[in-house]
Amino acid sequence: MFFDTRPKVSVHIAQTDETYVCATSESLLQGMLRLGRKGIPVGCVNGGCGVCKVHVLEGQCQSLGPISRAHVSAEEEAHGFTLACRVAPVTPVQLEVVGKFEKPFRKGFAAKAST
Amino acid sequence: MGIARIGHASLRVMDMAAAVKHYEKVLGMKKTMEDKHGNVYLKCWDEWDKYSLVLTPSDQAGLNHVAYKVEKDADLDDLQKKIEAYGISTNVLAEGAMPSTGRMLQFNLPSGHEMRLYAMKEYVGTEVGTTNPDPWPDNITGAGAHWLDHCLLMCELNPETGVNKVAENTKFIMEVLDFFLTEQILVGPNGDMQAATWLSRTTTPHDIAFVGGPRMGLHHIAYFLDSWNDILKSADVMAKTKTKIDVAPTRHGITRGETIYFFDPSGNRNETFAGLGYLAQRDRPVTTWTEDKLGTGIFYHTGEMVASFTDVYT
Repeated sequence: MFFDTRPKVSVHIAQTDETYVCATSESLLQGMLRLGRKGIPVGCVNGGCGVCKVHVLEGQCQSLGPISRAHVSAEEEAHGFTLACRVAPVTPVQLEVVGKFEKPFRKGFAAKAST
Repeated sequence: MGIARIGHASLRVMDMAAAVKHYEKVLGMKKTMEDKHGNVYLKCWDEWDKYSLVLTPSDQAGLNHVAYKVEKDADLDDLQKKIEAYGISTNVLAEGAMPSTGRMLQFNLPSGHEMRLYAMKEYVGTEVGTTNPDPWPDNITGAGAHWLDHCLLMCELNPETGVNKVAENTKFIMEVLDFFLTEQILVGPNGDMQAATWLSRTTTPHDIAFVGGPRMGLHHIAYFLDSWNDILKSADVMAKTKTKIDVAPTRHGITRGETIYFFDPSGNRNETFAGLGYLAQRDRPVTTWTEDKLGTGIFYHTGEMVASFTDVYT
Protein backbone atom coordinates (compact mmCIF):
# COMPACT_ATOMS: atom_id res chain seq x y z
CA MET A 1 0.00 0.00 0.00
CA PHE A 2 1.19 3.54 -0.72
CA PHE A 3 0.65 5.03 2.69
CA ASP A 4 1.15 2.55 5.44
CA THR A 5 1.53 4.29 8.74
CA ARG A 6 1.14 1.18 10.86
CA PRO A 7 3.94 0.46 13.35
CA LYS A 8 6.33 -2.05 11.81
CA VAL A 9 9.25 -4.22 12.82
CA SER A 10 11.78 -6.19 10.81
CA VAL A 11 11.52 -9.95 10.30
CA HIS A 12 14.59 -11.95 9.32
CA ILE A 13 14.41 -15.41 7.74
CA ALA A 14 17.51 -17.44 8.57
CA GLN A 15 17.53 -19.83 5.60
CA THR A 16 17.30 -17.19 2.88
CA ASP A 17 18.96 -14.40 4.89
CA GLU A 18 16.06 -12.17 3.81
CA THR A 19 14.61 -9.36 5.88
CA TYR A 20 11.19 -7.81 5.40
CA VAL A 21 9.10 -5.35 7.37
CA CYS A 22 5.93 -6.57 8.99
CA ALA A 23 3.25 -4.49 10.70
CA THR A 24 2.67 -5.40 14.33
CA SER A 25 -1.03 -5.82 13.51
CA GLU A 26 -0.58 -8.38 10.73
CA SER A 27 0.68 -11.96 10.77
CA LEU A 28 4.30 -12.76 9.92
CA LEU A 29 2.95 -14.50 6.81
CA GLN A 30 0.73 -11.59 5.69
CA GLY A 31 3.66 -9.20 6.02
CA MET A 32 5.78 -11.41 3.80
CA LEU A 33 2.99 -11.90 1.25
CA ARG A 34 2.25 -8.16 1.08
CA LEU A 35 5.81 -7.62 -0.14
CA GLY A 36 5.65 -10.44 -2.65
CA ARG A 37 8.32 -12.43 -0.82
CA LYS A 38 8.43 -16.22 -0.74
CA GLY A 39 10.63 -17.32 2.15
CA ILE A 40 7.87 -18.99 4.20
CA PRO A 41 5.59 -21.57 2.47
CA VAL A 42 1.98 -20.35 2.17
CA GLY A 43 -0.91 -22.76 2.65
CA CYS A 44 -4.36 -22.32 4.17
CA VAL A 45 -3.36 -19.12 6.05
CA ASN A 46 -5.83 -20.17 8.76
CA GLY A 47 -3.71 -22.20 11.18
CA GLY A 48 -4.78 -25.64 9.95
CA CYS A 49 -2.38 -27.05 7.36
CA GLY A 50 0.96 -26.41 9.05
CA VAL A 51 3.11 -25.56 6.02
CA CYS A 52 4.07 -22.12 7.38
CA LYS A 53 5.54 -23.57 10.57
CA VAL A 54 8.42 -21.43 11.85
CA HIS A 55 10.79 -21.39 14.81
CA VAL A 56 11.07 -17.93 16.33
CA LEU A 57 14.72 -17.68 17.35
CA GLU A 58 14.63 -14.11 18.65
CA GLY A 59 11.89 -11.59 19.35
CA GLN A 60 8.33 -11.63 20.63
CA CYS A 61 5.11 -12.43 18.82
CA GLN A 62 1.46 -12.36 19.84
CA SER A 63 -1.21 -14.87 18.91
CA LEU A 64 -3.86 -14.01 16.35
CA GLY A 65 -5.81 -17.27 16.70
CA PRO A 66 -5.61 -21.01 17.32
CA ILE A 67 -2.95 -23.17 15.63
CA SER A 68 -3.41 -26.84 14.79
CA ARG A 69 -2.00 -29.18 17.44
CA ALA A 70 -1.52 -31.71 14.65
CA HIS A 71 1.36 -29.51 13.51
CA VAL A 72 2.60 -27.62 16.59
CA SER A 73 2.47 -29.33 19.99
CA ALA A 74 2.05 -27.31 23.18
CA GLU A 75 5.64 -28.19 24.08
CA GLU A 76 6.92 -26.98 20.72
CA GLU A 77 4.94 -23.78 21.08
CA ALA A 78 6.58 -23.18 24.46
CA HIS A 79 9.93 -23.44 22.67
CA GLY A 80 9.12 -20.82 20.05
CA PHE A 81 7.59 -22.96 17.30
CA THR A 82 4.42 -21.58 15.75
CA LEU A 83 2.56 -21.02 12.49
CA ALA A 84 3.52 -17.77 10.73
CA CYS A 85 -0.10 -17.15 9.67
CA ARG A 86 -1.30 -16.94 13.27
CA VAL A 87 1.19 -14.68 15.03
CA ALA A 88 1.99 -10.99 14.72
CA PRO A 89 5.42 -9.60 15.66
CA VAL A 90 5.63 -7.40 18.75
CA THR A 91 9.37 -6.79 18.46
CA PRO A 92 11.86 -7.40 15.61
CA VAL A 93 11.88 -11.14 14.89
CA GLN A 94 14.46 -13.64 13.69
CA LEU A 95 12.98 -16.91 12.51
CA GLU A 96 13.80 -20.19 10.87
CA VAL A 97 11.40 -21.86 8.44
CA VAL A 98 10.41 -25.37 9.59
CA GLY A 99 7.38 -26.23 7.43
CA LYS A 100 7.69 -27.41 3.90
CA PHE A 101 5.37 -28.53 1.17
CA GLU A 102 4.75 -32.24 0.95
CA LYS A 103 4.80 -33.12 -2.72
CA PRO A 104 2.12 -35.55 -3.87
CA PHE A 105 3.05 -35.08 -7.51
CA ARG A 106 6.62 -33.96 -7.12
CA LYS A 107 9.05 -33.90 -10.01
CA GLY A 108 10.74 -37.23 -10.51
CA PHE A 109 7.64 -39.08 -9.37
CA ALA A 110 7.93 -41.42 -12.33
CA ALA A 111 11.61 -42.00 -11.74
CA LYS A 112 10.97 -42.88 -8.12
CA ALA A 113 8.10 -45.12 -9.07
CA SER A 114 10.40 -47.21 -11.23
CA THR A 115 12.77 -48.06 -8.36
CA MET B 1 -29.94 -50.75 -3.88
CA GLY B 2 -27.16 -49.60 -1.56
CA ILE B 3 -25.61 -46.13 -1.31
CA ALA B 4 -27.83 -43.36 -2.65
CA ARG B 5 -25.69 -40.25 -2.18
CA ILE B 6 -23.33 -38.30 0.05
CA GLY B 7 -24.99 -37.50 3.40
CA HIS B 8 -22.71 -35.36 5.49
CA ALA B 9 -19.16 -34.51 6.43
CA SER B 10 -17.96 -34.06 10.01
CA LEU B 11 -15.13 -31.54 10.30
CA ARG B 12 -12.86 -30.51 13.15
CA VAL B 13 -12.62 -26.76 13.70
CA MET B 14 -10.47 -24.72 16.05
CA ASP B 15 -12.75 -21.69 16.46
CA MET B 16 -16.43 -22.65 16.43
CA ALA B 17 -17.84 -19.13 16.22
CA ALA B 18 -15.62 -18.30 13.24
CA ALA B 19 -16.46 -21.62 11.59
CA VAL B 20 -20.22 -21.22 11.92
CA LYS B 21 -19.97 -17.66 10.60
CA HIS B 22 -17.98 -18.93 7.60
CA TYR B 23 -20.36 -21.73 6.65
CA GLU B 24 -23.37 -19.41 7.12
CA LYS B 25 -22.09 -16.20 5.55
CA VAL B 26 -19.82 -17.56 2.83
CA LEU B 27 -21.47 -20.85 1.82
CA GLY B 28 -24.95 -19.66 2.82
CA MET B 29 -25.77 -22.66 5.02
CA LYS B 30 -28.02 -22.47 8.06
CA LYS B 31 -27.37 -23.81 11.54
CA THR B 32 -30.10 -26.33 12.32
CA MET B 33 -28.97 -27.78 15.61
CA GLU B 34 -26.30 -27.79 18.32
CA ASP B 35 -25.75 -30.75 20.64
CA LYS B 36 -24.62 -30.90 24.27
CA HIS B 37 -21.02 -31.53 23.19
CA GLY B 38 -20.90 -28.23 21.35
CA ASN B 39 -21.11 -29.81 17.88
CA VAL B 40 -22.93 -27.61 15.39
CA TYR B 41 -25.07 -28.98 12.54
CA LEU B 42 -25.82 -27.09 9.33
CA LYS B 43 -27.65 -27.57 6.04
CA CYS B 44 -27.96 -25.82 2.68
CA TRP B 45 -31.26 -24.26 1.55
CA ASP B 46 -31.85 -26.93 -1.09
CA GLU B 47 -31.18 -29.89 1.21
CA TRP B 48 -34.09 -31.65 2.88
CA ASP B 49 -32.44 -33.67 5.63
CA LYS B 50 -31.56 -31.98 8.91
CA TYR B 51 -27.82 -31.52 8.30
CA SER B 52 -25.06 -32.12 5.79
CA LEU B 53 -22.22 -30.66 7.82
CA VAL B 54 -21.17 -31.24 11.42
CA LEU B 55 -18.59 -28.97 12.98
CA THR B 56 -16.84 -30.36 16.05
CA PRO B 57 -14.68 -28.26 18.39
CA SER B 58 -11.04 -29.39 18.33
CA ASP B 59 -7.45 -28.23 18.67
CA GLN B 60 -6.77 -29.14 15.05
CA ALA B 61 -8.39 -29.09 11.62
CA GLY B 62 -9.41 -32.05 9.45
CA LEU B 63 -12.09 -34.64 8.74
CA ASN B 64 -13.69 -36.77 11.46
CA HIS B 65 -15.75 -38.85 9.06
CA VAL B 66 -17.75 -38.70 5.87
CA ALA B 67 -21.19 -40.30 5.69
CA TYR B 68 -23.25 -41.62 2.79
CA LYS B 69 -26.96 -42.31 2.84
CA VAL B 70 -28.27 -45.70 1.74
CA GLU B 71 -31.71 -46.18 0.27
CA LYS B 72 -33.14 -48.74 2.71
CA ASP B 73 -32.35 -49.69 6.28
CA ALA B 74 -31.79 -53.32 5.19
CA ASP B 75 -28.97 -52.10 2.92
CA LEU B 76 -26.95 -51.52 6.08
CA ASP B 77 -27.13 -55.21 7.00
CA ASP B 78 -26.34 -56.26 3.46
CA LEU B 79 -23.36 -53.89 3.19
CA GLN B 80 -22.09 -54.84 6.65
CA LYS B 81 -21.84 -58.49 5.50
CA LYS B 82 -20.05 -57.51 2.31
CA ILE B 83 -17.61 -55.16 4.03
CA GLU B 84 -16.80 -57.75 6.71
CA ALA B 85 -16.36 -60.42 4.03
CA TYR B 86 -13.86 -58.13 2.30
CA GLY B 87 -11.83 -58.15 5.51
CA ILE B 88 -12.72 -54.74 6.93
CA SER B 89 -14.22 -54.67 10.41
CA THR B 90 -17.38 -52.68 11.02
CA ASN B 91 -19.27 -51.28 13.95
CA VAL B 92 -22.94 -50.37 14.24
CA LEU B 93 -23.75 -47.14 16.07
CA ALA B 94 -27.24 -47.17 17.55
CA GLU B 95 -29.94 -44.79 16.44
CA GLY B 96 -29.37 -41.45 18.13
CA ALA B 97 -25.60 -41.85 18.36
CA MET B 98 -25.75 -38.79 16.17
CA PRO B 99 -28.82 -36.63 16.82
CA SER B 100 -31.72 -36.87 14.35
CA THR B 101 -29.95 -39.79 12.70
CA GLY B 102 -30.75 -43.51 12.50
CA ARG B 103 -28.31 -46.32 13.14
CA MET B 104 -24.97 -45.96 11.38
CA LEU B 105 -22.58 -48.51 9.94
CA GLN B 106 -19.07 -47.34 10.79
CA PHE B 107 -15.82 -48.57 9.21
CA ASN B 108 -12.51 -47.32 7.88
CA LEU B 109 -11.55 -47.22 4.22
CA PRO B 110 -8.23 -48.94 3.42
CA SER B 111 -6.69 -45.42 3.54
CA GLY B 112 -7.79 -45.06 7.18
CA HIS B 113 -10.54 -42.49 6.61
CA GLU B 114 -13.66 -43.16 8.65
CA MET B 115 -16.79 -43.68 6.60
CA ARG B 116 -20.32 -44.06 7.92
CA LEU B 117 -23.46 -45.27 6.21
CA TYR B 118 -26.99 -44.56 7.39
CA ALA B 119 -30.52 -44.89 6.07
CA MET B 120 -32.44 -42.37 8.15
CA LYS B 121 -31.99 -38.72 9.01
CA GLU B 122 -34.69 -36.34 10.21
CA TYR B 123 -36.51 -34.73 7.31
CA VAL B 124 -36.96 -30.98 7.62
CA GLY B 125 -37.55 -29.97 3.99
CA THR B 126 -35.91 -27.51 1.65
CA GLU B 127 -36.43 -23.76 1.97
CA VAL B 128 -38.81 -23.78 -0.99
CA GLY B 129 -40.81 -26.86 -0.02
CA THR B 130 -42.39 -29.43 -2.30
CA THR B 131 -45.67 -27.82 -3.35
CA ASN B 132 -45.48 -25.35 -6.24
CA PRO B 133 -41.95 -24.39 -5.17
CA ASP B 134 -40.09 -21.29 -6.30
CA PRO B 135 -36.75 -22.05 -7.94
CA TRP B 136 -34.91 -20.37 -5.07
CA PRO B 137 -35.83 -18.82 -1.72
CA ASP B 138 -35.58 -15.11 -0.86
CA ASN B 139 -33.37 -15.55 2.18
CA ILE B 140 -30.23 -16.79 0.43
CA THR B 141 -26.98 -15.50 1.92
CA GLY B 142 -23.43 -15.70 0.61
CA ALA B 143 -22.79 -18.11 -2.22
CA GLY B 144 -26.15 -19.79 -1.62
CA ALA B 145 -24.78 -23.31 -2.02
CA HIS B 146 -27.43 -25.89 -3.00
CA TRP B 147 -26.02 -29.00 -1.41
CA LEU B 148 -22.93 -30.87 -0.29
CA ASP B 149 -21.76 -32.47 -3.52
CA HIS B 150 -18.65 -34.57 -2.88
CA CYS B 151 -15.42 -34.85 -0.94
CA LEU B 152 -11.84 -35.48 -1.95
CA LEU B 153 -9.73 -37.56 0.43
CA MET B 154 -5.94 -37.58 0.37
CA CYS B 155 -4.60 -41.13 0.63
CA GLU B 156 -1.10 -42.37 1.29
CA LEU B 157 0.80 -43.10 -1.90
CA ASN B 158 4.47 -44.03 -1.75
CA PRO B 159 5.92 -45.62 -4.89
CA GLU B 160 9.13 -46.50 -3.02
CA THR B 161 7.39 -48.70 -0.47
CA GLY B 162 4.65 -49.80 -2.83
CA VAL B 163 1.89 -48.30 -0.70
CA ASN B 164 -1.02 -47.09 -2.83
CA LYS B 165 -4.12 -46.41 -0.77
CA VAL B 166 -5.75 -44.67 -3.76
CA ALA B 167 -5.83 -47.97 -5.62
CA GLU B 168 -6.88 -49.90 -2.49
CA ASN B 169 -9.75 -47.50 -1.74
CA THR B 170 -10.85 -47.52 -5.36
CA LYS B 171 -10.94 -51.32 -5.50
CA PHE B 172 -12.85 -51.52 -2.23
CA ILE B 173 -15.54 -48.98 -3.00
CA MET B 174 -16.05 -50.38 -6.50
CA GLU B 175 -16.22 -54.04 -5.46
CA VAL B 176 -18.04 -53.67 -2.17
CA LEU B 177 -19.89 -50.35 -2.17
CA ASP B 178 -20.64 -50.53 -5.91
CA PHE B 179 -19.30 -47.13 -6.92
CA PHE B 180 -18.21 -46.80 -10.57
CA LEU B 181 -15.04 -45.16 -11.82
CA THR B 182 -15.47 -42.05 -13.98
CA GLU B 183 -11.93 -40.67 -14.22
CA GLN B 184 -8.42 -41.53 -13.10
CA ILE B 185 -4.85 -40.22 -13.18
CA LEU B 186 -2.35 -42.92 -14.11
CA VAL B 187 1.35 -42.29 -13.43
CA GLY B 188 4.64 -44.14 -13.19
CA PRO B 189 7.02 -45.53 -15.82
CA ASN B 190 4.38 -47.86 -17.20
CA GLY B 191 1.49 -45.43 -16.73
CA ASP B 192 -0.37 -47.97 -14.66
CA MET B 193 -0.29 -46.54 -11.16
CA GLN B 194 -3.57 -45.00 -9.98
CA ALA B 195 -2.48 -41.71 -8.41
CA ALA B 196 -6.01 -40.30 -8.26
CA THR B 197 -9.54 -41.55 -8.94
CA TRP B 198 -13.04 -40.06 -9.23
CA LEU B 199 -16.01 -42.29 -8.49
CA SER B 200 -19.76 -42.03 -8.53
CA ARG B 201 -22.92 -43.68 -7.25
CA THR B 202 -25.25 -41.09 -8.78
CA THR B 203 -25.14 -39.41 -12.19
CA THR B 204 -22.59 -36.73 -11.35
CA PRO B 205 -18.92 -37.14 -12.32
CA HIS B 206 -17.95 -37.77 -8.70
CA ASP B 207 -19.52 -38.45 -5.33
CA ILE B 208 -16.07 -39.13 -3.89
CA ALA B 209 -12.49 -38.77 -5.07
CA PHE B 210 -9.12 -40.06 -3.87
CA VAL B 211 -5.75 -38.44 -4.51
CA GLY B 212 -2.34 -39.79 -3.53
CA GLY B 213 -0.13 -37.89 -1.12
CA PRO B 214 2.44 -38.44 1.60
CA ARG B 215 -0.18 -38.90 4.35
CA MET B 216 -3.94 -39.35 4.70
CA GLY B 217 -6.14 -36.31 5.16
CA LEU B 218 -8.92 -34.14 3.81
CA HIS B 219 -8.30 -32.24 0.61
CA HIS B 220 -11.72 -30.61 0.38
CA ILE B 221 -15.47 -30.83 0.71
CA ALA B 222 -17.43 -29.37 -2.21
CA TYR B 223 -20.80 -27.66 -2.50
CA PHE B 224 -22.91 -27.45 -5.62
CA LEU B 225 -23.81 -24.22 -7.43
CA ASP B 226 -25.85 -23.84 -10.62
CA SER B 227 -23.61 -21.96 -12.98
CA TRP B 228 -20.37 -20.24 -13.82
CA ASN B 229 -21.96 -16.94 -12.82
CA ASP B 230 -22.66 -18.35 -9.37
CA ILE B 231 -18.96 -19.18 -9.11
CA LEU B 232 -18.16 -15.52 -9.84
CA LYS B 233 -20.63 -14.40 -7.18
CA SER B 234 -19.13 -16.92 -4.79
CA ALA B 235 -15.70 -15.32 -5.37
CA ASP B 236 -17.23 -11.88 -4.75
CA VAL B 237 -18.61 -13.15 -1.44
CA MET B 238 -15.14 -14.38 -0.48
CA ALA B 239 -13.62 -10.98 -1.27
CA LYS B 240 -16.31 -9.27 0.82
CA THR B 241 -15.77 -11.60 3.76
CA LYS B 242 -11.95 -11.65 3.42
CA THR B 243 -12.05 -15.41 2.99
CA LYS B 244 -8.73 -16.90 1.88
CA ILE B 245 -9.15 -17.95 -1.77
CA ASP B 246 -6.88 -20.85 -2.69
CA VAL B 247 -7.66 -21.11 -6.41
CA ALA B 248 -9.53 -18.32 -8.26
CA PRO B 249 -12.44 -19.28 -10.54
CA THR B 250 -11.35 -21.73 -13.23
CA ARG B 251 -12.27 -25.05 -14.83
CA HIS B 252 -11.01 -28.54 -14.12
CA GLY B 253 -10.13 -30.77 -17.06
CA ILE B 254 -11.09 -33.66 -14.81
CA THR B 255 -14.92 -33.73 -14.36
CA ARG B 256 -15.12 -30.48 -16.47
CA GLY B 257 -16.16 -28.79 -13.22
CA GLU B 258 -16.29 -25.01 -12.89
CA THR B 259 -14.74 -24.20 -9.59
CA ILE B 260 -13.30 -21.97 -6.89
CA TYR B 261 -11.39 -23.22 -3.86
CA PHE B 262 -11.04 -21.48 -0.51
CA PHE B 263 -10.30 -22.20 3.13
CA ASP B 264 -12.54 -22.20 6.19
CA PRO B 265 -11.21 -20.37 9.28
CA SER B 266 -9.48 -23.55 10.49
CA GLY B 267 -7.80 -24.20 7.14
CA ASN B 268 -10.15 -26.94 5.92
CA ARG B 269 -10.44 -26.50 2.16
CA ASN B 270 -13.87 -25.88 0.63
CA GLU B 271 -14.91 -25.85 -3.01
CA THR B 272 -17.95 -24.41 -4.71
CA PHE B 273 -18.47 -26.37 -7.86
CA ALA B 274 -20.81 -25.70 -10.79
CA GLY B 275 -21.94 -27.33 -13.97
CA LEU B 276 -23.10 -30.80 -14.86
CA GLY B 277 -19.76 -31.76 -16.37
CA TYR B 278 -21.41 -34.74 -17.98
CA LEU B 279 -24.07 -37.25 -17.12
CA ALA B 280 -22.13 -40.00 -15.41
CA GLN B 281 -23.29 -43.47 -16.38
CA ARG B 282 -22.09 -46.92 -15.38
CA ASP B 283 -21.30 -47.82 -18.98
CA ARG B 284 -19.59 -44.52 -19.81
CA PRO B 285 -15.96 -45.21 -20.71
CA VAL B 286 -13.48 -44.21 -18.01
CA THR B 287 -11.49 -41.04 -18.70
CA THR B 288 -7.74 -41.33 -18.09
CA TRP B 289 -5.28 -38.48 -17.47
CA THR B 290 -1.60 -39.19 -17.99
CA GLU B 291 1.28 -37.96 -15.84
CA ASP B 292 2.47 -35.47 -18.49
CA LYS B 293 -1.00 -33.87 -18.68
CA LEU B 294 -1.66 -33.82 -14.94
CA GLY B 295 -1.63 -30.02 -14.78
CA THR B 296 -4.20 -29.76 -17.57
CA GLY B 297 -6.42 -32.30 -15.84
CA ILE B 298 -6.38 -30.33 -12.63
CA PHE B 299 -6.43 -26.74 -13.97
CA TYR B 300 -7.54 -26.87 -17.57
CA HIS B 301 -6.82 -23.23 -18.50
CA THR B 302 -3.27 -22.83 -17.25
CA GLY B 303 -2.24 -26.47 -17.33
CA GLU B 304 -0.01 -25.68 -14.37
CA MET B 305 0.02 -27.16 -10.91
CA VAL B 306 -0.35 -24.80 -7.94
CA ALA B 307 1.80 -25.80 -4.98
CA SER B 308 -0.65 -24.65 -2.32
CA PHE B 309 -3.44 -26.61 -4.01
CA THR B 310 -1.74 -29.94 -4.44
CA ASP B 311 0.43 -29.95 -1.35
CA VAL B 312 -1.69 -28.33 1.36
CA TYR B 313 -4.43 -30.21 3.20
CA THR B 314 -5.75 -30.91 6.68
